[in-house]
Amino acid sequence: MNRKHRIGLALGAAVISISTLTGCSSSSEQAKEVTEITVYSGRAEEFIAPFFAEWEAKSGIKLNIRFGDSAELAAQILEEGKNSPADLFLSQDAGSLGAVSGEGLLTKLSSDIASEIPAKYVAANRTWVGVTGRARVFAYAPDRVKTLPLSVADLTKPVYKGQVGIAPTNSSFQAFVAALVENKGQEFTKSWLKGLQDNGVKIYPMNSAIVEAIDKGEISLGLVNHYYIWEVSEALGRNLNVTNGFFVAGDLGNLINVSGAGVLVSSKKQSAAEELINFLTSAATQSEFVEKTHEYSLLEGVKQPEGLPALQEIGAPTVDLDSLKNILITQNILVEVGLL
Amino acid sequence: MQTSYPGRTHSSLTQLSKSARNQSVSKLALRSTVGVVLFLSTVPIIYLFIRAGQKPFGQSIDLLFREKTLRVLGTTAILVLAVVALTLLIGVTLASALHFIKLPFPSILIIPTVLPLAIPSYVFTYTWIAFVPSFSGIFAAIFILTLSTVPYVILATLAGLRSVDESQIEVARSLGLTNTEIFFRVVLPQIKGHVSAGVLLTALYTLSDFGAVSLLNVESLTVTIQNLYRASYDRGAAAVIALVLIAFSTIVVIVDDRVKNRAKVGEAVKVQTSKQVLIESNRTRFFTLFVLINLFTLSIVIPFYVLITRFLDNRVTIKWPDLLSASLSTLLVAAIGAVIALVLAAPLGILLSGRSDKFTRFAQRIITVGHGLPGVVVGLALVSIGSKLGVIYQTIFFLGFAYALLFLAKLVASINASLARVPSGVKDVATSLGANPWAVIKKVVAPIAAPGISLGTILVFLTAMKELPVTLMLRPTGFETLATEIWSSAAINRFNEAAPYALILVLIAALPTFLLSRPDKADRMFVNESMGSEK
Repeated sequence: MNRKHRIGLALGAAVISISTLTGCSSSSEQAKEVTEITVYSGRAEEFIAPFFAEWEAKSGIKLNIRFGDSAELAAQILEEGKNSPADLFLSQDAGSLGAVSGEGLLTKLSSDIASEIPAKYVAANRTWVGVTGRARVFAYAPDRVKTLPLSVADLTKPVYKGQVGIAPTNSSFQAFVAALVENKGQEFTKSWLKGLQDNGVKIYPMNSAIVEAIDKGEISLGLVNHYYIWEVSEALGRNLNVTNGFFVAGDLGNLINVSGAGVLVSSKKQSAAEELINFLTSAATQSEFVEKTHEYSLLEGVKQPEGLPALQEIGAPTVDLDSLKNILITQNILVEVGLL
Repeated sequence: MQTSYPGRTHSSLTQLSKSARNQSVSKLALRSTVGVVLFLSTVPIIYLFIRAGQKPFGQSIDLLFREKTLRVLGTTAILVLAVVALTLLIGVTLASALHFIKLPFPSILIIPTVLPLAIPSYVFTYTWIAFVPSFSGIFAAIFILTLSTVPYVILATLAGLRSVDESQIEVARSLGLTNTEIFFRVVLPQIKGHVSAGVLLTALYTLSDFGAVSLLNVESLTVTIQNLYRASYDRGAAAVIALVLIAFSTIVVIVDDRVKNRAKVGEAVKVQTSKQVLIESNRTRFFTLFVLINLFTLSIVIPFYVLITRFLDNRVTIKWPDLLSASLSTLLVAAIGAVIALVLAAPLGILLSGRSDKFTRFAQRIITVGHGLPGVVVGLALVSIGSKLGVIYQTIFFLGFAYALLFLAKLVASINASLARVPSGVKDVATSLGANPWAVIKKVVAPIAAPGISLGTILVFLTAMKELPVTLMLRPTGFETLATEIWSSAAINRFNEAAPYALILVLIAALPTFLLSRPDKADRMFVNESMGSEK
């Protein structure tokens, strides 16, 4: 008997809490003025939440933020289609934005939104804009790598046998491979990837794991984004035996990818969502990004991350970021060579 | 020694006869309800067929027969076979030792064998990687998955052992058979069905696990599926591989079926092990304690040690309100999931208690097959459908519903196992005395099945608390559970910040685990209660 009572109590408690939870969530639709918008954020809470809080205070609009992995959120938006509850999609990379945009799920942004961001970091059809810049680099252990690679093509050489790490599931790695496909063709890309495999390339689930592996001495060099050294170092609370290196000017290994944002075509609060994009791309917010997340600002004249060359001086290849949305061919190649 | 059937059922059965027409109407209603549940639980599979169908046939064939698919299939098969073999060996041995060997505080000794259920496999893996930095690869994955799933086999075997007819053991012993011979010739045939049910859960868990294999760099089918989803925004390829996984779990379910069909059904309901069958030997006693201590160290002490040191290393101030609200959210939504699962499983459970026919067996198998799917597949299928349902999408109810679908098979399996203990003779007697099926269920089946049902519900509750991929997709926006909080810190390598959340999750999950470790107590309670009327 005792047990039955307990179960009954638990049920009762659940019902009560359920009804209070639903009671407070569905009352905001009537008001014409936008009081809240929903953001799907592929950027980690830890790094982006302060910016969101600042905007909430400034605009008086509440943000419902759904944190997740950029690619998984993109897959979720694709499944949701026109029924997506999201107003804004903030992604770690251009590829996820391109995929959502490719299905016609992002709307064309007004011309006065993020107008200061250079055109090369904006989708040609203006369905999304870059917010911050991320340079592809090779991270390496300075004491163990004697000859620095000049180009990604060098990584298939015997000097680097068993010493290179990549993260094939990582979207910035895939964006880089997509750039390779776009500029050097499928055959070159395939044979380069196969060359890496023959050279004993080590596979990691994410960029940070590569940086850690270099620090631990598992490998000497890895293809990552520039800010991971700070990220891992802050997470571990110590300095790392890892440095960022760039390939020669124009090499595709120096690709600059962006994190970016787009407004959903199904959103009924598009102008409020656009305002949030304007805030994220304003000069003041951009400087904060550089300082706090060590990313590059896409605006000219904003101070760049310490110890790194300015965005214009990296020697980045000329790549149409929009073309990176065609990730399918890249995917198929990665699948074909067995990296996915 | 034998416990007789509760007397009160007898006296009340005669009053409970109804017309045959009513019976067939209620049976039809029951079957259609099961049909609905069956449909709901096949939604992810239907979704996979649709998605896979959108991919050009030639491409799907290429994908299926590329070298890599075969390699991944091989890895998955090795993983499943190794984990099954090890959990079978360790689980059955330990459960038998706990049951038959006279040990100090037997009910306390069970607890550490079941406690690993409280630790999510991704947390378990993280802690081991932190403890042994080079921890990686297929052996590491076999190790982690064996430790995480051995409780399923131990629980199932213990449940089976409790219904073993001990008079046979005594006879065998008087005939001079050794304990080993008795085990293989008398005990094992009687518990095969139960053991198989536990092994089935182990195999399906291993098939669907993503956390451990991905962290340990083992490319199993779930990792390939996840990689294809994450990267290729063309979801057809992922669906094709997910269907391979479905084929795999179908094989597992068929094997389990074969084993069960050959198993003898224990006809006697045993409650306590009699003193006579207990083995008193210091050698076996020390060996058992030695194994228990090792298991405890590997699966509890080390993860806790790592979590606690990480927790102490954490220099970031803990956000207590966040921790509290994430804990409450976790409990709430897992409870909703468990209740929905119970509601969904009940009609099938009732049907299973009757004469099992093709339809019920089919329904049960389909539900079990779906259990081998990784969360991300079920999650995306439900995103696809849920987003069309408007207000219900991304609510705690829909998330609870998702948990129910995801873990329904656990509940069905334990209901089925406990129903196997209802001797068909008793049902027949009740029916021949004129009781209608409902009365038989209410008065005979339900009381005996109750412990199994409550254990199954607890199991769903427990697993729902640890679930991650579906939670990420279907939780209300801004609603954080302990699992999502752990994820958001771990995703940016802040393991120390994840530690408080992981510790709380393991501690909260340990509470229902204690209940799981004491089914004998639940049994005894039932018997004492129902025997009250006789005294």
